[in-house]
Amino acid sequence: MGYTLQYGQVYHYIPYLLGGAWISLQIAFLCFCGGIAIGMLNAVALAFGNRLAAGVARAYVTFFTNTPGLVQIYFIYYALPDLHIVLDSVHAVVLGITLNAGGYLALILRSGFLSVPVNEIDAGVTLGMTRLMLLRYVIVPHMIGVLYPAIGNKFILMVLGTAVAGVFGVEDLMGRTINANAESFRSIELLSITAAIYVAMTICATIALSGVGMALLRRRVRFAG
Amino acid sequence: MAFLQIADLSATYGRSPVLSGVSLAVEKGEVLSLIGPSGSGKSTLLRVLIGLLPPQAGSVTLAGQRVDYAVPAALRALRGRCAIVFQQYNLFQNMTVLNNVMVAPLKIKRRPRPEVEEEARALLGKVGLSAKLHAHPSELSGGQQQRVAIARALAVKPELLLLDEVTSALDPELVQEVLDIIRLLAQEHMTMIAVSHEMGFVREIATKVALMSEGTVVEIGTPAEIFDAPRSERARAFISKIIRAH
Repeated sequence: MGYTLQYGQVYHYIPYLLGGAWISLQIAFLCFCGGIAIGMLNAVALAFGNRLAAGVARAYVTFFTNTPGLVQIYFIYYALPDLHIVLDSVHAVVLGITLNAGGYLALILRSGFLSVPVNEIDAGVTLGMTRLMLLRYVIVPHMIGVLYPAIGNKFILMVLGTAVAGVFGVEDLMGRTINANAESFRSIELLSITAAIYVAMTICATIALSGVGMALLRRRVRFAG
Repeated sequence: MAFLQIADLSATYGRSPVLSGVSLAVEKGEVLSLIGPSGSGKSTLLRVLIGLLPPQAGSVTLAGQRVDYAVPAALRALRGRCAIVFQQYNLFQNMTVLNNVMVAPLKIKRRPRPEVEEEARALLGKVGLSAKLHAHPSELSGGQQQRVAIARALAVKPELLLLDEVTSALDPELVQEVLDIIRLLAQEHMTMIAVSHEMGFVREIATKVALMSEGTVVEIGTPAEIFDAPRSERARAFISKIIRAH
């Protein structure tokens, strides 16, 4: 093959890449929060809304879950300026990932609304619980239990999905890898280090989510990561 | 007037009638057992009594007071005196065994925690689950879950306990542990209405048996009267069928 691995030439990029990883995590977290807000609105509309609200939500979900996220960000970054809406790369990427996540999280959250524990509600009602008590002691804890693993998995996927930001020149982990590669041309070494950092990030996120899950739900929660 | 007086009670699911003109009386300390084929309205009667399904017509009078199912305050008062145990246990999965039993007296009746906890521990001791106080329902067998459900119902100190096929969802070897608890409650003169398919048990603990069919009470009497000398043709047919099945 004639290729000699020379990690020595790229070690000095590691702090730079780790800085990028921190930016990736921030983007993921920001987009996740925005996605939850949009997803919640859509899920409420899908589960309880009138025909108009449900129709709008369904159209949103259909569009954003059936087109590639990359196309959506391209549209925001390259097509919107033609309509005089100009966003810098970071804002375009954050907006794109958020809108996309909003579609997927709507479906996840709606499944939580639809899994209302009818038996437990009957029990609560017959014990004399008011609607507020049912929400607080029965419905919301149940929904958290049902949704937590799915939402946690989505967060992990979003951490990995932020790599798309690099394509638009954002200095996330992938973006900094592209920069470092342009400087050093040590693609195998740099990309293997980047891959290792992504693995470490998802493992850390999985451990953190499992820990929170144990504290929140008092049972072991398994994530795909 | 009897402790519980049900007069001409009717109810529908959607448009189809599920109870029509049910009249029954239960005295304090009595155990009324509802028997009859599936779909005859036994469980529905319990759901109407506890206010999960609104009655279309008729009246229910508990301890001399007519229950107005359309008034939330009246429903709350009813649920303070009356409790139900469901076939599928219906335990709160996010709570421990102890919290399942404590939630109603603590959060709904707002009684002081030390007192409630002491009572809940005693109740769970009574149903043989002192070792499972901090377990979650999913960690228990069906029989254990049903015993927690009974303890939870007893925690509100009901004057009337409704039991909706409480052993039907259990494996055969777990039925007895639940029946033992109900037998104990009968000995303590708890007023109960029990829907059951355990005919031997019905015969043993019921003071009165009502046979239901197609949403009405076909025949009512002591266990001996119903099982040994059924008067109506429908009762004779049902009893002979269950005797053949056993």
